Amino acid sequence: MKKIMTILVLSMSLTLTAQGTYEKGMQKAFGFWSSGKTTEAANLFERISSAEKNNWLPLYYAAQVRVLSSFGLKDETVITANLKAAQKNIDQAFEISNNNAELLVLQALLHTVWVAFDGATYGPKLSGTVYGLYAKAHKIAPNNPRVVYAKAEWEMGGAKFFGKDITPFCKDIQRSLELFATFELETPFHPNWGKERAEQIANDCK
Amino acid sequence: MKKILFILFLVLAGAQTYCQTKINGNVVDVKGNPIVGVNIYLEGTYDGTMSDENGSFEFSTSETGTQKLRCSFISYETKIILKKVSEMKGLKIKLREDVSSLDAVVLAAGTFNAGDNSKVTALKPLDVVTTASALGDPIAAFQTMPGTSTVAEDGRLFVRGGTAEETQIFIDGIRVFTPYAASANNTPTRGRYSPFLFDGMTFSTGGYSAEYGQALSGVLLLNTINTPEQEKTDIGIMSVGGAVGNTQIWCANSLSVNTSYINLKPYLNVFEDRNKWVQPFQVVAGEAVYRRSFSNGLLKLYTAFDSTNFELIQEDINVEEGISFKLKNHNFYLNSSYKGVLSANWSVLAGLSFTAANSAYAISKSEIENKEESIHAKLKFNRFFSNRFQVSFGADYFLTDFDEFYKEEHISEVAYGFQNKFGAVYGEFNVFFSKSLALKGGIRAGYHRFFERLKISPRVSLAYKTAENSQVSLAYGDFYQNPTNAILKFEQDLKTPKSQHYIVNYQYNNDGKILRTELYAKKYLNLVKYDTELPQYNSHYTSNGTGYAKGLDVFWRDNKSIKNVDYWFSYSYLDSQRDFKNYEKKAQPNFVNKHNISLVAKYWLEDWKSQVGLSYNFASGRTYTDPNKQGFLNQKTKAYHSLSLNWAYLISQQKILYFSLNNALGTKNINGYQFANNANDFGQFEKRALRPAADRFFFVGFFWTISEKGTDNQLDKL
Repeated sequence: MKKIMTILVLSMSLTLTAQGTYEKGMQKAFGFWSSGKTTEAANLFERISSAEKNNWLPLYYAAQVRVLSSFGLKDETVITANLKAAQKNIDQAFEISNNNAELLVLQALLHTVWVAFDGATYGPKLSGTVYGLYAKAHKIAPNNPRVVYAKAEWEMGGAKFFGKDITPFCKDIQRSLELFATFELETPFHPNWGKERAEQIANDCK
Repeated sequence: MKKILFILFLVLAGAQTYCQTKINGNVVDVKGNPIVGVNIYLEGTYDGTMSDENGSFEFSTSETGTQKLRCSFISYETKIILKKVSEMKGLKIKLREDVSSLDAVVLAAGTFNAGDNSKVTALKPLDVVTTASALGDPIAAFQTMPGTSTVAEDGRLFVRGGTAEETQIFIDGIRVFTPYAASANNTPTRGRYSPFLFDGMTFSTGGYSAEYGQALSGVLLLNTINTPEQEKTDIGIMSVGGAVGNTQIWCANSLSVNTSYINLKPYLNVFEDRNKWVQPFQVVAGEAVYRRSFSNGLLKLYTAFDSTNFELIQEDINVEEGISFKLKNHNFYLNSSYKGVLSANWSVLAGLSFTAANSAYAISKSEIENKEESIHAKLKFNRFFSNRFQVSFGADYFLTDFDEFYKEEHISEVAYGFQNKFGAVYGEFNVFFSKSLALKGGIRAGYHRFFERLKISPRVSLAYKTAENSQVSLAYGDFYQNPTNAILKFEQDLKTPKSQHYIVNYQYNNDGKILRTELYAKKYLNLVKYDTELPQYNSHYTSNGTGYAKGLDVFWRDNKSIKNVDYWFSYSYLDSQRDFKNYEKKAQPNFVNKHNISLVAKYWLEDWKSQVGLSYNFASGRTYTDPNKQGFLNQKTKAYHSLSLNWAYLISQQKILYFSLNNALGTKNINGYQFANNANDFGQFEKRALRPAADRFFFVGFFWTISEKGTDNQLDKL
């Protein structure tokens, strides 16, 4: 009995430490990110992903750090290198979790970096691809607030460009806010961004 | 209980401190400079760190035994060290630069890339449809690149002193046998294939890879789109006809179908041209692409059919009432390819194309009908050793079956033709010694049944990066190409025409600006000669023809310096002489211009949601023989000028209105002269200027894309 207890306690404590390492690691990486240390953050997320073989989240964040830090860059060589690494992360993440709406949104975001960098070159080429990704994400998860908001923001950009009415997309943004309010996270580390930006756009709509 | 707690304490404490091994070392680049930010960790564990500004790193691990230490950093090659953890101390790690990064050297001699995957893009896929003079034809868009000659009445690609037949076109690596649409004399032809099918194009004006044979001067490589983005329906209403297309996507499959009908009759009723049309130009065309992706590969099936007919009476100086010319052409093309990954390092491309072309001509009182059936089968393997070293090899098989029937009043039908079988194998390697030095070498061996000879052609290309934004490339190659169908149908006992290319290229590429200059020399051997005006069944043929071409190509593109303006400028200097066909002696052929200039500019008008563009083309005069004077090809026409304008107006995301006007200034260009067969009463041979059928061409189109709330439009289809 005593022996069984020992083993039981022992194995429990070991799983607890493993859990702890993941959480600690993720928290540390988010810490790096929020203090602007993007290389450190991306590297740490990547290291965590090497230990967490069946978890798409560290790869998702490694890619997200690289994608978001590429917006506004001017050097094509750097953007290409960054996004190449991010694309690798996304591809690996898709291998773990196929048909994942959050990953589709991130993939769309990656293409948007190119459109933002050189709209004349990449806009016509990639806008269809980006739309296709949002449409696919919407099919998979019509009630995911990020999908609803990101799709609406993208479409709103197109409508503004052509001087079209943006009210239908404002409605979508409003809907995303309702979804954000009731959105439940699967784990504390699941994607949970977009609400602030959606609120901002909702304000502009008024 | 106490005992349990004690054991537990021991175990837990042990887990923390027990067996902690320190791993440390230093990361440098090839030159010995420290690299900061390298991600270093034991694979499959949480243990790792990042190198500091001195390239140093240190971390602890509780892992034991042999482990994989992974060192990765953006723009460097990842390195994996397999070692016992206890030996991972004082590691000296050297990372090599990633040669696939954007700032690495490119093998550029002779080549223009148009695609998003290429590092230096001279022409973007969209340029095909937004270049004023191109009217949506990829061929015409590439005519604004240096190294091409302006042969306005022809419309095909003439590369560096070569005839149009010397440039071959490939779709997905598979040969296209009849790439150009049928057209009347003095009316430029167009490529048969719509530009929106392709997302990558490479145009090589010399020194190309051993993968491509049977081309003496150039190759144009077109790659079809792998996966369409969304389901949609396209509708186009044009001043010259209409087009409808639809794309469906299901599971791993997609199917795109397009049909079009072009009829020039309404246009010619409004804008008459110099021809007397009996039956104006009319084309019915349809094409379909089916794609299926497998877990390790992609299958593409492309098929196109078109049927052209027209009849007109063309001016002729020897025949007062003109010469009637009637043509019916049917063309079927099937291109299938499979690209797949065999294992981690092996990939394969297998492809087959089949062409069936049938043309029936009626010229004055004679009738000619010909049938061509051609096959190209290809198999290519690629072995990937690393980013720095790859080898590919493969085999090609070509089969052409050509039959022609000739009928004239009082003469019974004559039939002749040939069957041409040709096989070739090739091997090629690509090696990057560093980010600044790359070499490509290949060899191609072709065997021809007629000539019963093995022809070996070596090709080599070297590139060296001289500074951050500039590089120099060199290339050399031998090229063989069988004589054209026009010759082979009468005579097959000939040597294989050969060309040799020598190329020096300098390229500067920085922040939206590209400067590319290329010096080249080209030698021709074994060109076909004959002793009649045109190749005929009773001509005497030899392989004694020779020729040369040398020149300078300059290309400049800039899309950054002026806001909302993207422009490029091409200049080609070409010095070329030949002694071939029925030439009396070596002379500058009539398809050669010494100087060629193209200027293409596009301006985006934000407020008008419009892109306006212009393209200007200048070419110095071409040679012709004036029988009233001494000598052969003794005169030159006046220089050629053409200014084209276009305007694309985006009504909404899915509706585009497009206008274009070719030769807006209505310059009266002369492509050459035709002289009377017999001298007039004053002993002079009268002449007639060969002018384009119309000086100007006007086009209006409305393009509408219907997709589920989509953003797609047909800007890429114009």
